[in-house]
Amino acid sequence: MDLNLDAEQVAVRDAIRGVLAERLPSARVRAIMTEEAPFDAAVWTAAGELGWFGLAVPEAQGGAGYGLPEAMLLFTELGRAVAPGPWLGTVLAALALGGRPEHAGILGGRTRVAVIDDPQGALGAGARLSGAVAGIADVGAASLLLVLGTKAVRVAEVRGVTVAASPCIDPTRRLATVTFAGVDASAVPGDAEGLRRVATVLAAAEAVGVAERALEMSVEYGKVRHQFGKPIGSFQAIKHRCADMAVRAEVARSAVTYAAIAVRDGEPDAGFQVHVAKTLATGAALQNATDNVQNHGGMGYTWESDAHLYLKRARILEHTFGSRTAHLDALVAPWRAA
Amino acid sequence: MEIRFTPAEEAFRAEARAWLEANKPHTPRPEIDLKAQRAYDMAWQRTMFDGGWAGISWPKAYGGRGASLMEQLIWFEEYARADVHDVNTGFVGLNHAGPTLIACGSEQQKATYLPRILRGDMVWCQGFSEPNAGSDLASLQTRAVIDGDHLVVTGQKIWTSFGNIAEVQELLVRTDPNAPKHKGISWVICPMTLPGMEIRPIKTLAGNSDFCEVFYDGVRIPLSNVVGEINDGWRVAMATLSFERGTAFLSEQVRITRRVEELVELARKTPGPKGRMIDDDEIARRLAQARAEVAAMRAMSYRSISLAARTGVPGAEASLIRLFFSELTQRIDALALDIQGPDALGGFDRDGAPPPHTWAGHYLTGLSQTIGGGTKEIQRNIIGDRYLGLPR
Repeated sequence: MDLNLDAEQVAVRDAIRGVLAERLPSARVRAIMTEEAPFDAAVWTAAGELGWFGLAVPEAQGGAGYGLPEAMLLFTELGRAVAPGPWLGTVLAALALGGRPEHAGILGGRTRVAVIDDPQGALGAGARLSGAVAGIADVGAASLLLVLGTKAVRVAEVRGVTVAASPCIDPTRRLATVTFAGVDASAVPGDAEGLRRVATVLAAAEAVGVAERALEMSVEYGKVRHQFGKPIGSFQAIKHRCADMAVRAEVARSAVTYAAIAVRDGEPDAGFQVHVAKTLATGAALQNATDNVQNHGGMGYTWESDAHLYLKRARILEHTFGSRTAHLDALVAPWRAA
Repeated sequence: MEIRFTPAEEAFRAEARAWLEANKPHTPRPEIDLKAQRAYDMAWQRTMFDGGWAGISWPKAYGGRGASLMEQLIWFEEYARADVHDVNTGFVGLNHAGPTLIACGSEQQKATYLPRILRGDMVWCQGFSEPNAGSDLASLQTRAVIDGDHLVVTGQKIWTSFGNIAEVQELLVRTDPNAPKHKGISWVICPMTLPGMEIRPIKTLAGNSDFCEVFYDGVRIPLSNVVGEINDGWRVAMATLSFERGTAFLSEQVRITRRVEELVELARKTPGPKGRMIDDDEIARRLAQARAEVAAMRAMSYRSISLAARTGVPGAEASLIRLFFSELTQRIDALALDIQGPDALGGFDRDGAPPPHTWAGHYLTGLSQTIGGGTKEIQRNIIGDRYLGLPR
C-alpha cells in the first residue's frame, strides 16, 4: 500500500506543471477567455505531442500506458491553472475510442471532444439521438461529441447538432444547450457507467487542483500583505482559516487518489470511493475558493485578482458529473433499501 | 500507487485477526469505576504481552513487537475490527512515557520501567499542564530545586488523566527560573506515592473523574529520576508530544468507521417524521457526508503512513489528520444525538454520568477531543506555522 507519487509520477506531474506555468499562466488564460470558444490551440497541440491525452490509454493503442492516477495528476494541474478547453471530453474520448479512425487525431491534439453526460437517457437509447441537453461545456471548441447514455457510449459530430452556447459564471468556459434532431450517433464498445466513474474522478481531480491553488494563493498573500504592521498570515483569523483550507485540500487529495487507484484496479468498493471523492473534492474546491476571496479582502473582490476564477471553476465542477447532493444520495440509497 | 497490501502484510493481518478473535476480552470495559477500568485494561495488556503483541511500535530490543508502520496500521485496523477497547489507562505509559524513555532514558530507567509498562503492571499519568500553563505549556511554573542528590518540587499540575490510579507520573518542572522559558525545564519520573503530594480528582462534564489536579509541597524526587539532562526537559517533552501527534491515535481513527456504520443501523431502526430517520433527507445526507469523511480520513492516514514508511519520519500531515479527526468525531457524536432524539437524553445517574456505552456518553467525552493533547486552536497554529510556513 502506498498512496504517494512514485518518482515517475512526480516527473509526470512536474512536467505538466512546468508546461502549464510557462505556456498557460493566468495572463494567457485571461487573454483567451474572451474568445468565442476559449481554448489555447498551441497548448492543445503541445499536449498532444507530450502525450497528455493518452496518459491512461494502453501503449498498444498509442497511449502512454499509465492509468487513471496519472490522468488524475493531469486534471489536478489543469485545475490549478484554471485551464480552458474541452479537456475532460477529449481525455475520455481517448480512452473510449481506441481503434476508431478519430483516435489518432484525439491523442495527437488535433481533434477536440466535448462530453455529454446523459445517465437518464434523455437523448434516447437508439442509434439516432433526439432531444435537447443543457449545460454542456466547451462544445464550441470541439468537433466531436462523446455521449455517455444510460449504458451505451456514442459518438456524434458537432456539425450535426444545434449548439446554443453562451457565457456562464466561469468566464473561461461556455455552456451550451445542444439539440439533437434524429442525429446518427454510432455506439462504441465499452460501458457508459465505467467511463462515468473515470470522468467523475477526473472532475474531482480538477477540483483538488482548485482547492490546492486557492490555499497556496492565500498563504502567499498572507505572507506579503501587511496590516497593523504585521503580515496578515500571522493573525489567527487568517492563519486558522488557512489551516482549515489545508485540511480540506489534503482530505480531498487523499480521497481522490484512493478513488483513482480503486477504479484502476477494479476494486469492489470503487463506486463508493468515487462518490466519496467527488463529494469531498468539490466541497473543498468551493470552500477553499470562497475563503481565498475573503483572505484577499478588497483585492479578492476584484476582477483583476485570480481568486474569482477558482471559485467560478469550482461552481462549474460542482455540476460536472454529479453534484455533492447527488453523490451523497447515491451513498444513502443502499441504506434505505430494506 | 497501490491500495493493496503485500502478501506478507496480508499474512500479518490474518495472524493478528486470528489472535484477536481467540484472545480478546468478552466482557465490555467497565465505565465510571476507575479501579475496575484499570484492572480490565491491565489484564488485557498482560494478555497482549503474553501473546507477543504488547508495544506494537516499540523496538524488539525493549520487548516490543517492533512492527513496521504498515504492520502497525494493519494491527490497529484489526484491533478496531475486533471491537476491542483501547487500553486507556495504559495510554500514557505505552504511547508517551515508554517511547520517551526509549528515546531519552538511561539504561537503568529503561530496565526499571519499560517491562512493567509492557506487562500491564504499571499505570503512568502525565504532569505537564498547570492552571496557568495550558496551551502555553512552556510557561509552566512548578519549581524544582536541587538539594543534594534530590530535586525538591513545589507547585501544581492539572488535567492529569488517571492521576488517582497511576503509580508514576511524567512530570515537567522548572529547574532554572532565570533561563529562557524553554531552556529551564526538566522531565522527571515522579512516583505518585511520595510524601508531600496531594491528588484531588476533578469531575468532568461527563460526570466522571478521569482526571485530577496534583499538588506538590516539597516533594523529594531522586536526581536519578531525571530523564535526559537537567534543563533539557523541553526537548524530551517535544519527543513525547510528537508521539501523541503521530500514530498513537490510529486505533481511534480506524474505529470511527465502525461507529458511523452503527449510526446507519441506528437511523434504519429509529422512527422519524417520514418513517425511519434514514428516510429524512437531512439526516441521511449528514450520515452520508460523515461516511464519506471517514473514508477520506482512512485514505489520508494511508497517505501519511505510506509516506512515513518511505521516508522514515512522520510527516507534518499528522497534524492535519489530528484536527480533522477531532472535529469529525464530534460531528458524528452530535449527529447520533440528533438521530436518537429525546431518547438519547435520559437514563443519567444522580452524579450526572450518562448510561454506559451510549451515544450521549460519546458525545460528552468527545468534547475533550478538541481540547486534550493540544486544543484545536493550537493544532491550527501548528498547521499554519509548520505546515504552511505562515509568519508567527
